[in-house]
Amino acid sequence: MAESPQDLVVETYKLTKIYQNRQIAINDVTLRIEPGCVLGLLGPNGAGKTTFLRLCLGLHRPTAGWVKVFGKRMTANAANVRRRIGYIPTNPQFPRGMSPISYLDYMARLFGLPQDIRKPRLASLIRAVDLLAVSGEPIAGFSNGMTARLAVAASLINEPDLLVWDEPTHGLDIEARRSMLELIKTLSREKTLIVSSHNLGDIDEVCNHAAVLSRGQLIYSGSLQDLKGRMRRNHYELDLEGDQKAIAKATQAIKGLSDFKSVQLRHRRLEVRLNDDATNTSALANVFMTLADNKVTLVSIRSVGQQTEQAFLDLVEKEESRGFTRAYQVNEAA
Amino acid sequence: MDAPVAKAPVKIKPWLPYWAVFREDFRQTLRSWVYRTWVLVSVLTAVGYMHYRVAEFRGAGIVQHASELISDLLRWCVVGSITLIIVLTAGSISSERGTLADSVLSRGISRYQYFLGKWHARLVAVIGTFFMVGLVTIAASVFLLHADISWVGSVLALVAVAAILGIVISCGVTFSAVFSNTMLGISVVWILVYGVGFTLWLLPLHYPPQFHVLSSLPFIVRGEYNFSILLRLVGWSALISCILAVVGMGYFSRRDV
Repeated sequence: MAESPQDLVVETYKLTKIYQNRQIAINDVTLRIEPGCVLGLLGPNGAGKTTFLRLCLGLHRPTAGWVKVFGKRMTANAANVRRRIGYIPTNPQFPRGMSPISYLDYMARLFGLPQDIRKPRLASLIRAVDLLAVSGEPIAGFSNGMTARLAVAASLINEPDLLVWDEPTHGLDIEARRSMLELIKTLSREKTLIVSSHNLGDIDEVCNHAAVLSRGQLIYSGSLQDLKGRMRRNHYELDLEGDQKAIAKATQAIKGLSDFKSVQLRHRRLEVRLNDDATNTSALANVFMTLADNKVTLVSIRSVGQQTEQAFLDLVEKEESRGFTRAYQVNEAA
Repeated sequence: MDAPVAKAPVKIKPWLPYWAVFREDFRQTLRSWVYRTWVLVSVLTAVGYMHYRVAEFRGAGIVQHASELISDLLRWCVVGSITLIIVLTAGSISSERGTLADSVLSRGISRYQYFLGKWHARLVAVIGTFFMVGLVTIAASVFLLHADISWVGSVLALVAVAAILGIVISCGVTFSAVFSNTMLGISVVWILVYGVGFTLWLLPLHYPPQFHVLSSLPFIVRGEYNFSILLRLVGWSALISCILAVVGMGYFSRRDV
């Protein structure tokens, strides 16, 4: 735990961004990110994830509230604070006619790094991201994977303490995505990361904390484990083995139990949905007993739906239904 | 086990980001089609007009004064090619907003340095090119036409026109920082520059005297100039350019990119 606000990597207080008095992009977001945290920023399209990251970088100016990074207020001219941050935008753009060497040299100059530091560092990074063979070629002809690797190198050129990566796996093929996730895992051992992604599987794999934005509001901030803990575990799939008649008999017996909303058998796969008031441990214990009584073997059991995704969807759904309730109450009062 | 080696703190060069933006923008300007078109049009106009004057002298025997050729070309430069200079400068910041500007402004550079780098790069590119083309034209006219010019006067005429171009460039870069839309920025600067120019032209002669230098260019080129008026022109132009830049820089440092 960070002992004082000075120890926090990012701290926002009542952060609000309203575009031209027309669109509320971020609404009253108070968030604290501690050193070593790998934060997954989640939210549906238009939730305000990119706006939040841009506010943290000083690319946008808050309408109200503030952002502090490494204990210092982030502003458009806070170059000293940005020297400790590595950023990858959603779709990184590169100046025309530049090669990876000239681009990284330009980025290093923007951080004020002297020649004896920046030249060896850019050479090491080009080698590390496997662009050595094309280091003198124009970036214009690069594939998505190559530009993503170059963007990673650019975000690491200043050896930052905080990495802010906006959709780093966007547009990557399976192999490139896998490499990116491995890189995030490696970097997370010594740096603080904020990763925004639509792909909840990615967040689940690499992050230890999550923040969920919905319509500009922070609806969850905490550990990923806690987020998963909020998930309604009421839908399971069981793969069975044994005599088909015995499986059918067991299914009929399970249908007779009061804990289940629905019980369906497809070949040897049993799908069960629990009632809202049922406890999953006792309900599943009853299922196991019934299967054992009918001499049916259980091959595997799994909770249906990707866990983080389900928890995230539950949160957003809950927040939206609260919104409808609020609107209803306001109308009623009027 | 060996003790871990402490990482030596990197000595940051605070003005390196400014130079990086300056160098990159200068290169991009020289590569842009608007710049190349402007240079091509200026060179072709100078060569064509000089060819016409030389032909008139050789064919009809009418003496052609280098001072008239130089002052005509300088006037055309101000009136004609300013449109291209506006296009070249009024998109310098707005055209990169939301894409390339993200990659630059998210690094260790302040908005002030970014604006100054852009502004100075455009000033050096346009005014430097103007001086190069101007000096070559003056030298050619000395050899090909009746050399009635003074070198000091010619250079002062170039300085006077460059001072006016400086205002246009500063105006262009400032409005590119103010407007998000490049076309809107170009339109506003174009209307403003030509509007102010037309208003000054309508004012009584010698009011304000420093901005009526275009009408007295033939005399200046011949060496018949009032140094204090030229000095005031350059001083006022520099002041107006700086005020425009400060306004643009202040606005840009407070807005979203």
